[in-house]
Amino acid sequence: MGLPNASGDLSSEVDVDAFRRLFPLRFHERHLAESIRPDARPLGRARDTTIALGAVASADGSALAKIGSTTMLAAIKMEVMTPSMEAPDEGCIAIDFHMPPICSPIVRPGRPAEAAPVVSKQLADTVLSSGMINLKELSLVSGKAAWMAYLDIYCLDADGALFDAALLAAVAAFSHLQIPVVSLNDDGKIVVVAEEHGGGKLVKDPVNKEKRKLALSSIPFSLTCILHKNYILADPTAEEETVMETLVTVVLNSSSQLVSLYKPGGPVLAYTSAVQGCVALTRQRVKELQEILGEGISVNSGCEGGSLVTSIREQLIAFVLKSKYDIAVICCMLCSEVYELL
Amino acid sequence: MSHLSIPKKLITKNPLPKITISLSLSLSPILPSPTDATTTHERLSLSFPYLNTKKNQLMDAKSASTYSPNPTRKTKPPIFADPDWSRPDSRGFHHCRPAFFRTGAVNSASGSAYAEFGNTKVIVSVFGPRESKKAMMFSDIGRLNCNVSYTTFATPVRGQGSDHKEHSSMLHKALEGAIILESFPKTTVDVFALVLESGGSDLPVVITCASLALADAGIMMYDLVTSVSVSCLGKNLLIDPILEEESYQDGSLTIACMRSRYEVTQLTITGEWSTPNINEAMQLCLDACSKLGNIMRSCLKETASASQE
Amino acid sequence: MVGLSIGEKHFIQGGIAQDLRTDGRKRLTYRPIYVETGVIPQANGSARVKLGTTDVIASVKAEIGKPSPLQPDKGKVSIYVDCSPTAAPIFEGRGGEELSAELSVALQICLLGGKSGAGAGINLSSLVVAEGKVCWDLYIDCLVISSDGNLLDALGAAIKAALSNTGIPRVHVAASASGDEQPEVDISDEEYLQFDTSDVPVIVTLTKVGRHSIVDATSEEESQMRSAVSVSVNKRGHICGLSKRGGAGLDPSVILDMISEAKYVSEQLTNKLDSEIAAAEADDDDER
Repeated sequence: MGLPNASGDLSSEVDVDAFRRLFPLRFHERHLAESIRPDARPLGRARDTTIALGAVASADGSALAKIGSTTMLAAIKMEVMTPSMEAPDEGCIAIDFHMPPICSPIVRPGRPAEAAPVVSKQLADTVLSSGMINLKELSLVSGKAAWMAYLDIYCLDADGALFDAALLAAVAAFSHLQIPVVSLNDDGKIVVVAEEHGGGKLVKDPVNKEKRKLALSSIPFSLTCILHKNYILADPTAEEETVMETLVTVVLNSSSQLVSLYKPGGPVLAYTSAVQGCVALTRQRVKELQEILGEGISVNSGCEGGSLVTSIREQLIAFVLKSKYDIAVICCMLCSEVYELL
Repeated sequence: MSHLSIPKKLITKNPLPKITISLSLSLSPILPSPTDATTTHERLSLSFPYLNTKKNQLMDAKSASTYSPNPTRKTKPPIFADPDWSRPDSRGFHHCRPAFFRTGAVNSASGSAYAEFGNTKVIVSVFGPRESKKAMMFSDIGRLNCNVSYTTFATPVRGQGSDHKEHSSMLHKALEGAIILESFPKTTVDVFALVLESGGSDLPVVITCASLALADAGIMMYDLVTSVSVSCLGKNLLIDPILEEESYQDGSLTIACMRSRYEVTQLTITGEWSTPNINEAMQLCLDACSKLGNIMRSCLKETASASQE
Repeated sequence: MVGLSIGEKHFIQGGIAQDLRTDGRKRLTYRPIYVETGVIPQANGSARVKLGTTDVIASVKAEIGKPSPLQPDKGKVSIYVDCSPTAAPIFEGRGGEELSAELSVALQICLLGGKSGAGAGINLSSLVVAEGKVCWDLYIDCLVISSDGNLLDALGAAIKAALSNTGIPRVHVAASASGDEQPEVDISDEEYLQFDTSDVPVIVTLTKVGRHSIVDATSEEESQMRSAVSVSVNKRGHICGLSKRGGAGLDPSVILDMISEAKYVSEQLTNKLDSEIAAAEADDDDER
C-alpha cells in the first residue's frame, strides 16, 4: 500500500481533474480538512432546491423537485377500487419509485437499478407511517368504492440524495393533488362528473363535493448526511456518495418529530453525538424545505387559470439549467484556490 | 418389475418443473396446444419479464383491480367532409404545434435534450461513447443502442411504464444513417428516451429530441435528424397530429430526414395511400422538417453562446 | 453475419450493376416461390412458403374475444414472428428476439392499416360476431425455419396463403342476453366461413445495392445493402404500408422511384402468388 504516499507526492504536480479521478478519497479529504466541499458548499449546507407544481397535465397531481441537479418528477393518478373488508372506509396509496435509464450512466435498460426498490420501500414506509394523509379521506362510498392513489416518482437526473428529492417531490405532488368530482352511476361504477354539463343536467349528485383537496398534516421532510471520520456532510452528491459510503437519512415532520431514521450499514459506526448532529441539521433543513414548498404552492395558485403551461415549462426548464453554470464557475475558482493552498 | 420402478428419492430430486419449462420454450407458438389462450398470454408476459414482479404491492390482493373513473370516450369520428370542422386544438391542418427545445436537461449524461410539442414531453439522454458490453464481438465501427420508455402517467389510462420496443427499433433506424459510426470504433453510444407525457406524434418528437441530444453530447453526425408525421383523416392531411387525432386516423406517414443533405433516414406509412397522396404528404413533412431544423439549430447556438460567456 | 472476401463483394456488386446476379436472376426477378397450405392441421389455417432457401411457416388461430371499446365493430388481429434457432446460429438464445420484434412490427405496419382500421389488408369488420360484445381474435404466428434473405416478403406471402387457407367456424349468438351481459355463443363444428384474401397486400422489399435496387435479395446480397424499403401493395395498386429498414439515408425522389418500381413488381408477384396458392389449395383438397 504505497499508494497514499505516492498520491501525496503527486498532489502538488498533477492536474486537478486527474487527481480527482485517481485519488477520489484523498481529493475529498483535502477539501474536508478545509471545511469546504468540491462544489463550494460548507459541510452542513444542502444544495439549491426548487419545486414546480403541476408539471404533468395528464395526472391529477404532479410536481417536479430539484435538489442541486438531482431531479425528480412525481405524478399521482387517481383510480377507483373496492376497499377491503377490514377497512371499508379507507382508500389506498401505491407508491413506486423508478429510475429510468436516462437518469444515470449506471442504469441500463432492462436491468432496474439496485437503488430503486430500496428507495421505493423507504418512501412507502415514510409516507404511510408519517400520518401525513388520512386514508379515510380517500373513501368515496363506504364499503363500495374508495380512491386508489397511484404515486409514481421518476428520477430524471440522479446526483445523490435520491431519497430526499423523491420524498420532496412526493409531498409536493400530494399538495398539488386535485381530486376529480365523481358520482356513482347506475351500474355502481364511479364516473367523473363532466364539468361542461353544468349543474342542470346532473342526475346524480357528486359523492365527493367537499373533498377536492387532501388535508396534509405533519408533512415529512428528510435530509441525507454522509458520515466520514468526524465529518458530517449534508445532502451529498453522487460522487460523494460513491467515495464515502456511510449514509444516514433522517426524516422529521413539520413539528420536528422523528418519523424515521435510516443508517443502512456502512464502514463508519456512528456515535450518538453524530446522529444528534444529523438530526440537528435536518431540523434546519425542514424549515428551509417548508418555505420552498410554500413558495411552490403560492406560485402555482397564482398562475392557475392563466397561461399555466408556459409558466410551468419555464420553471421546469429554467432551473434545469439555472444553477449549472454559475456553480460550475465558482467551483472551478475554488478548486484552483484550494489547490494553491495544498 | 422392481427395477423398473423409480425410487422415490429420485423423483423428488428430479427437477420436474424445469423439464416442463424447457419443453414449453422449445415449442413454437405456431404449434397449437389445448391451452392456446394461456400460451398467448404467457408469451406476452414473457416479453416483459420484470413487469410483473416490479409492481410495488401495497394493496390487498382483493382490491388488486382498480379502474379509472374517466369514462372510455366513445366519440364518434367527426365528419371531416364538414368544411367547418376544425382540429381539437384549433390549429390549421398544416400547422405544427409550437416546438420547444432545451439541451442539457440531465447533468449526469454526456448530452441530453428536452422537447415539448404541445402536451408531448420527452427527455432524451445520451451516454458514451463508452465501452461496449462484454459479450459484444469486436467491431471496427461504433454501435448505437436505443431505448424508448414511457412513464406510467404518460398516457390517459395509467400504463405499465414499460420499454417500448417498437419505438426503440424505429429510433435506432432513424438515427443510424445520420451518425458517423466510424468516429468511435469499438465503443457504444446509448440513446435513452423517456416520454414524460404522451400527447400524440410521440415517435417523431423522440427522434428529433434524440438527434439534438446527440449533438449536445458532441457525437459526430452528418446532419441533425428531424422527424414529423402526418395523419390522414378522410381526405384531409393533418400534420403533427395529437393523441385524439391519431386514435381515429385512417393512415399515417412518418418521415425522419436530414434536411441539409436532403436524405430520408426513416419513412413509415400505414393505411392505404395513393401515390399522389404520398407525394403531397412527403412534401408537407419535408417542409416542416426544415423549419424544425432551424429551431433546433438556434437552440444549439443559444446554448453554445451561453456557455462561452 | 455473412463473411465475404473483397473479391466476392465486388462480384456481387458488379453483377447487380450489370443486371445479372450471382444466381442468374435479373434485378427485379424473384426466386421460385413454393407454397404449401394446411401444413398444421390443428390451426385454423396455415401455410409454408419457400423462396429459394428461405423457408417460413405461418399459422392462423382464431379465438373468441371481446372487441375493444374504442372500436366495437372490429375484430382484433395480432402478428408474431419467431426466428427458430435452426435458421441461423445467431438466432440461438435471445439472439433472434430483436429481428423477430422488427419483423413483427414491419408486418403489422404493412398488413394492419391505420389506427381506425382503414386500409387494412384483413377486413376487420368481418371478424365481428356481435357488435361490441363478441368478435374473433386472429393470432397469426410465423416461424422462420431457414433464413436466406428477404424474410419479410416471404412472411407476407405465407400470411396471405395461410389466410386463404383459413376457415372460421360459424358462430350462433344466443339472442336472450341483454344489457351488459356477455351473450352465450355456440361455435359450429361443421360450418366454416372462408376468408376473403383478395385485399391482402403483398410485400415487396427493394434493397439498394450501389446505385441499383434489387428485389428478393439473398442474405449475401443483403450484407451489401445500403438501405432497404419494404412496400406493401394491394391489388388496386395502392400502397398499404411502407417501412424503411434502416441503413443510409435516401433522397426522397429515390424513394418515390422505388415505390413505383415496387408497384410494378407487385403485380407480377400477386399473380404468381395467387396461382401458387390456388394450386396448393387444390393439392391440399386432393389429399383430404
